[in-house]
Amino acid sequence: MANTMDRRRLLSTAVLGGAGIAGATALGSLAPEAAFAAEPVKVVPGQPDPNFAEGRVTTINGSVVLLAGSDGALYRIQVTNGTSIWKFQPTTFDRLEKGDGMYVRGVRLPDGTLAADSLWANIVNLTAHIASVGRNVLHLDHHGRRLIGHVVPGTTAAVYNGTPAISDISLLRVGGHVQIIGAWHPDTNEISIATVYAAN
Amino acid sequence: MLQSMAALQSLLIGVVLIWSARIKLLDRRAADQVGTSALGTLLGSGRAVPAYRLLGGVELVLGILLVVPPAPVAEPVAASTLAAGFVGYLWYARRAAPGSSCGCLSAKATPVTGRSIARAGGLALAGLLGAVAAGGGYWLSAVVDQPAASVALLLAEVAALVALSPEFDAAWLLPLRRLRARLTHPLRGGSGIPLLASVQQLQLSGAYRQVAALLTSDVREHWLEQPWRMVCYSARYQGRPATAIFAVPAADAAPERVRVALVDDSTGATLLSLTDPAYAS
Repeated sequence: MANTMDRRRLLSTAVLGGAGIAGATALGSLAPEAAFAAEPVKVVPGQPDPNFAEGRVTTINGSVVLLAGSDGALYRIQVTNGTSIWKFQPTTFDRLEKGDGMYVRGVRLPDGTLAADSLWANIVNLTAHIASVGRNVLHLDHHGRRLIGHVVPGTTAAVYNGTPAISDISLLRVGGHVQIIGAWHPDTNEISIATVYAAN
Repeated sequence: MLQSMAALQSLLIGVVLIWSARIKLLDRRAADQVGTSALGTLLGSGRAVPAYRLLGGVELVLGILLVVPPAPVAEPVAASTLAAGFVGYLWYARRAAPGSSCGCLSAKATPVTGRSIARAGGLALAGLLGAVAAGGGYWLSAVVDQPAASVALLLAEVAALVALSPEFDAAWLLPLRRLRARLTHPLRGGSGIPLLASVQQLQLSGAYRQVAALLTSDVREHWLEQPWRMVCYSARYQGRPATAIFAVPAADAAPERVRVALVDDSTGATLLSLTDPAYAS
């Protein structure tokens, strides 16, 4: 905990302290060619992207996660200090559990392990109609199937008509069409809603 | 009493069948959707439309026979058999083509549910009652004899059919649920600035455009430090792993004030700090 606070103080000071403020040119050339020429992604046409993996967690061993992909492929994922981990919200490695589904993007190492840059656990992106609402619950009709979407006050965000996100989700209408980014509760028909996009 | 009430069932089933036939024979939208309904899945899309039309024709003929005199016992028997056939079809469709539309009483795509099966079962029972207890009596004489009871029974049966029809939910169930939501406000209580608002602002900022190509991860960590929200990403700068920390105005929408610093992960040294000169105070 003290470590985290020290680290945060160091980072805050770096960005707010004003020391070493430099102009844009400190980055060298900002021309688009320079930026895009940096590291070309090597994807063979027709082949799976080697720097991507998806599947359900079968084992967590130290900082290595084994995934069973939905097409039968098995993946070894190496999580590092620099890996961003999302599970309903940005979180830490110890929150991952066996059975979580996940998408991982990273760099493939020579031994076949994927060194993860970003990892999203249980993330879902779906369109639905709001069939009914309860206290902090949306009952969703997802193409004829019923889903239960849990609203987490303070974390769930709503985007109405493409305007900036706000926390107030009370403007959602029963019967309305929504798109939802959320976290699936594994092996149930329930999700926690991270962001709901709606017209209003 | 029972006899006249039973005779009324012919009228009810007849009207439902004529309504259903109208959708199947005249609604172009319904015919377009047959290919994707349960019928299309079970018969193949080529045969689905003729079968759908044929069924509509049978329903129309039987519906008219049920409504107009005379009223032989064979009519409610035939109606009951047809409704029992619907129960079997819907039950099978739910097993064989789950999630596909029923194509029953409306052009709206409505998946086969327990409610539609219960509705077909109810019609079959009504037909059975008409066949067993009406004894060939015509419904018009029953209405003339006991107008209040007849109208009440018919209204109750129609209400039950509507309640069992997912096709009509938009007309009565959704408005009721909307009213309940308006009265009880079940979704009230969200407050504060969500993380997404800060990330959206960050992504619109000049600072983000400058360093976006260096970032390797999604949001790793975030915290509030009034009046700023700090958002961290992983980055690589000149081959070294670093943390990109953005300071985003927490309360205002001011992407031009977003600042960023790159901090070396191993030494803690600030590699780079960018801010709009106008706000560099």
